[in-house]
Amino acid sequence: MADTVAQSTMNQRAGMSLRTRRILTHAGIFALLLLAWEIGSRTGLLDPLFYPRPTDILASFWRVYVTQGNIWFHLYASLGLVLAGFVAGSIMGIGLGALVGFNPLVRRFIKPYVIVLEATPRIAVAPLLIAALGFGAQSKIAIIMLVCFFAPFINTLSGVVNVNEEKLELFKSLGASKMQTLRKLVLPEAVPVIMAGERLALTAALSGVLVAEFIQRDQGIGSLILTYTRNLNMASAFACIFTLTIIGFLIFRFMEWLDHRIAFWNHEDGLNRNAQKRQARWSKKLATA
Amino acid sequence: MEQQAIIEANDPGTAVVAGSNVGKTFANGTVVALDNAEFTIPKGKFVSLVGPSGCGKSTLLRLIAGLIAPTSGHLHVHGTQVAGPRQDVAMMFQRATLLEWRTAIENVLLPTEIAGNVEDADRERAMELLHLVGLGDFAFSFPAQLSGGMQQRVALARLLQTGADVILLDEPFGALDEFTRERLNVELLRIVAEVGATTVFVTHNIAEAIFLADEVYVMTPRPGRIAKVIDVPLERPRELAIQTSPEFNHLVDEARDVLGAH
Amino acid sequence: MMDPPKSNRPNALWLMSRFAPHLALFGVLIIIWELLVRTGVITTIMIPKPSSIGASIIDLYFVSGTIWPHFFITLTEAVLGFCIGAAIAIALAVGSSLSDPFRRYVMPYAIVMNVTPGIALTPVIIAWFGFGMGSKIALAAVISFFPIFVNTLTGLMQVDNEREELFTSLGANRFQIFTRLRVPAALPLLFAGLKIGLTTALIGAVVAEFAQATAGVGVLMNRFSFQLNMGASLATLLSMTLIGLILFYSMEFLDDRLVFWRREERREAVSRKRARAWKRRAETSGRTR
Ligand SMILES: Nc1ncnc2c1ncn2[C@@H]1O[C@H](COP(=O)(O)OP(=O)(O)OP(=O)(O)O)[C@@H](O)[C@H]1O
Ligand SMILES: [Mg+2]
Repeated sequence: MADTVAQSTMNQRAGMSLRTRRILTHAGIFALLLLAWEIGSRTGLLDPLFYPRPTDILASFWRVYVTQGNIWFHLYASLGLVLAGFVAGSIMGIGLGALVGFNPLVRRFIKPYVIVLEATPRIAVAPLLIAALGFGAQSKIAIIMLVCFFAPFINTLSGVVNVNEEKLELFKSLGASKMQTLRKLVLPEAVPVIMAGERLALTAALSGVLVAEFIQRDQGIGSLILTYTRNLNMASAFACIFTLTIIGFLIFRFMEWLDHRIAFWNHEDGLNRNAQKRQARWSKKLATA
Repeated sequence: MEQQAIIEANDPGTAVVAGSNVGKTFANGTVVALDNAEFTIPKGKFVSLVGPSGCGKSTLLRLIAGLIAPTSGHLHVHGTQVAGPRQDVAMMFQRATLLEWRTAIENVLLPTEIAGNVEDADRERAMELLHLVGLGDFAFSFPAQLSGGMQQRVALARLLQTGADVILLDEPFGALDEFTRERLNVELLRIVAEVGATTVFVTHNIAEAIFLADEVYVMTPRPGRIAKVIDVPLERPRELAIQTSPEFNHLVDEARDVLGAH
Repeated sequence: MMDPPKSNRPNALWLMSRFAPHLALFGVLIIIWELLVRTGVITTIMIPKPSSIGASIIDLYFVSGTIWPHFFITLTEAVLGFCIGAAIAIALAVGSSLSDPFRRYVMPYAIVMNVTPGIALTPVIIAWFGFGMGSKIALAAVISFFPIFVNTLTGLMQVDNEREELFTSLGANRFQIFTRLRVPAALPLLFAGLKIGLTTALIGAVVAEFAQATAGVGVLMNRFSFQLNMGASLATLLSMTLIGLILFYSMEFLDDRLVFWRREERREAVSRKRARAWKRRAETSGRTR
């Protein structure tokens, strides 16, 4: 017990160097893995036709982004659809979720349908939508909307339903109107849950566009991956996949940032920032009065 | 008279728990949680530790339990130095810390299970202990089916199941309501007397400390130290009514003076 | 929400009163839908008559039985993929919870796997594992990995200081703390992860079937959609719902059995069972003595 305390203080003293040392070891191990792969491929242990070499992937990155530059068009096409489908789908989800959440009768009758929908892989409707709406952007957007709809819907519903009973009674005792209760209690309480739903939705949107493009192979990053793989140009396929890794990471960070802004009271930094801002506003108001 | 002599002798050989110059610092010596504590607790005695938050009550308890090591001084239990958790010392916390996937009786059997195999005799003893704490009918209830006070009783039975004769209680009933707490305190006295354990009891409440104890260690913070040891000569068994007696109130005042002066 | 009756077996009357309104509403909705299509208010091919969906269901499931081989293939793919993904995820999570360095080495790769949309790997995985069931199982395993890993790890890393201290004070060793405290405490979260993982495994299997396959409900879905046979497509979609429900409820059942302490009725049942077992043991040991 005593030496764990001693250890933690030691770590603090050696803080920076330990951290950098760790990062270096990780980078080293990663480099070794890549090297092993490269050597394995060059000595013929791994078939480079199926398992592209790291150097080939790097070269492909250069080609698809710079010399050929063909990825930009497809990226642009896919991300535009993702954005449109996500916004439309999640707004519908939140709206309907709130509507259903506020109405106990509707809530009760919708429950079985929700259970059935939850068990269905929603993305499986993709071929149906494409067949029905025809090739083109509208069927893809419809697919993305569909996969984006559910998480915000469910989370808004449960966020609105699970408002703290005691707080509701407080509002009632203060004589708050329905609208006031909604704006000042229910929505703020539900926001963190809704944000979590939005996070899931945006990730689902990315998967949705890929599936749509696998089926409807005209343009977009999904069809690009498919084409490259069919031509056994695996290095380029991986360049596209790692591009998606980066996009996925950016989406993750963006949603985290948004969550810290919107549901600031759940995060230390958000609390501090808002406390300062509000104090400044308050004193300014006092000064002018 | 004889026991008085033992206390005065300050001999770690005959005292059950003895500390000499015990100190504990945290955060590289910047926080002195306990400073130079000297004490001996004779066999079968009940000691209360009372004092404000942060005066090192829990620290002293965890030192005796061998959960942390002192930064200075020595601690002996039954004449041997404390070097880690040991079989003859058992501890109970403010929260019942029951495992919610075990029934009451299975929670009580946990110490036996950790020490080795569970025999029929252990099972019988666990059941007896549950009867002793008044939960004979709830042996197969899960913690979620028990009230807060009942959960603490299970924790008490689990503590006794260890067979330890030094019992450390860190605000064991602190989270319960006043009525339940008083009732459990009376029961605790009965049970401790029955098994003949040496007890150290931590509390924030001066009256509670005095009501239970043979000796009250009044502790003060920054640095945490035992400021005064108050002898409680009240007769046993004690009833709740003695709390209104003049002697009792005199003792309360004595403790309050120490804490107030600080 | 209505509470189930106190007795263990819900009686027929209660069941009727519980489900009758839902069934009635469902019937009314279907009739309205049928009428809207028949009277020509809805004319898109996208929305078939309920009666034609019904006819397709009868044909696919009962008359020709076309769906069953595909149904079992997809079910097998999803379950096998899930088992592989879950086994790897749980093993890595256990390792990561026991050793800090191990966790530091695993974490970056797990995060990269998480931010990459697993669906993007579909073409590559098909190239690696072929057109058969292997690639479907692999994709299901890949995309079900992360939710199980992260939930298990979070569960195992929850530390309750007082409980750990209790175990330490009783002289418990690391193994005892792990098996008797950490693992049971992690079970609820583990099951939450497994349920998400099962749903994603099914998505993986179906999407891989869309991309390239000869059998499975995804193939059937694709085929019917492009024949513009909407009734049959929706009937096929329903089979995916069925698989989803089967998977979800089998996991829910396991959850209920293993994490029995979370639900009142189960708690009481187990409590009674253990009391009986105790009595039996006492009787037999009393007889032998
Ligand atoms: N593990 C630790 N690391 C650093 N400081 C600690 C640690 N444990 C206790 N302390 C510090 O030691 C001092 C005494 O703590 P302790 O928990 O013994 O107080 P206490 O008397 O039990 O208080 P309370 O009545 O609130 O439980 C406090 O200032 C506390 O902050
Ligand atoms: Mg304390």
